[in-house]
Amino acid sequence: MHPVLRALPALAALALCLPAQDAEGIHWLSNYQDALKEAKATGKPIFLEYRCEP
Amino acid sequence: MSQYVCVRIIRMDDVDIAHFEYDRNNPLYFFLMNADEQIYTRYGGRDSAAVDSYLNLDSLELALKKGLELHDQWKQGKLKAAPRPAPKFPREYPLLVERTFAKNQCVECHLIGDFQNIHRQLDGTLDKKKHLWRSPDFKLIGITLDVPKGLVVKEATGPAAEAGMLPGDTIRAWNGATVWTFGDAQYAYDMLDRNARQVKVRVERAGAEKELTIALPIRWWLTDVRWRQSSVDPRVYFDDRPLTDDEKRQHGLPPEGFASMVRRVADMAKLMKTHELAVGDIIVAVNGVDRDPDVHTAELYIRLRKNPGDTLELDVLRNGQRLKLPLRTLQMSFRK
Repeated sequence: MHPVLRALPALAALALCLPAQDAEGIHWLSNYQDALKEAKATGKPIFLEYRCEP
Repeated sequence: MSQYVCVRIIRMDDVDIAHFEYDRNNPLYFFLMNADEQIYTRYGGRDSAAVDSYLNLDSLELALKKGLELHDQWKQGKLKAAPRPAPKFPREYPLLVERTFAKNQCVECHLIGDFQNIHRQLDGTLDKKKHLWRSPDFKLIGITLDVPKGLVVKEATGPAAEAGMLPGDTIRAWNGATVWTFGDAQYAYDMLDRNARQVKVRVERAGAEKELTIALPIRWWLTDVRWRQSSVDPRVYFDDRPLTDDEKRQHGLPPEGFASMVRRVADMAKLMKTHELAVGDIIVAVNGVDRDPDVHTAELYIRLRKNPGDTLELDVLRNGQRLKLPLRTLQMSFRK
């Protein structure tokens, strides 16, 4: 099996378990500029994920 | 996580790829930063074995905590900003634009890396050791990390042990760059000049810091990159191994040459009629060249020094006879 396919379950778990679930109350933005604005407004740091969608 | 603004980007179209530079063959990569776009730390990185060798929820938690600490320091004015490179965007690469934007297709991460290399090849600035052989492997210099604990050393052997690294050490700086995560450390390692023969590493041990100098073997940067989609990597469709000194002597070959024995021939070679090498063949020279300071096999010589589409002449020993065999290298094509 291709190494990337073999790793997909682990990657998916990592991506999903990151407090990405709505049930966890985490809201993921999809626009970088919006994230900068929110970070400025709230004083929070940014957790930026680059994900390559196949 | 609620202490962070979380943002997920799946299209690279408008990303400043100079500022957010990383090995684009990572399907997931993270930056912890502030609203001034100052990067605190990276989380990600990989080896050739698997995309997730160094991804772990425990180490991610450590990274998130460190990000919050650094953010507090920044708010107090105690964190010095690193210089930022001049911006660069995917639209500045004409061939990438032709391939993606012009066709209304997604700019995928690995395409950015590939087209950067294609443009470097056209500009004459491609350095394959640096641009193709990315993400050097710490294990090649004897460092095995305790992955859930981030940069804690689990085992130190070879060059790392010889430099004095011990299990339990925590890596704090690599080649002068402060590192908090594996992502930071691998990126700092990736930025090292490929001709470097040593690297300075700072470790924390029992509450004190210690600087080590690790001697780097000649091909410290060499990893298996055949899993990468790369247009500048000529496909050769065979594997080989270097001859031992005894074998070279036995065949009357120079000890400093890259003579190597074919150990596998890919089916594609027959299908695409690229060469007629057989397992057991000894490749002595490529286009009359039998040695190169950076390489130890004919395969590596071709991949490092030749281009996709080149037709080469190999000097081959087969069953005691010397032959000249042609080999045509191919360029990998992408699925879309």
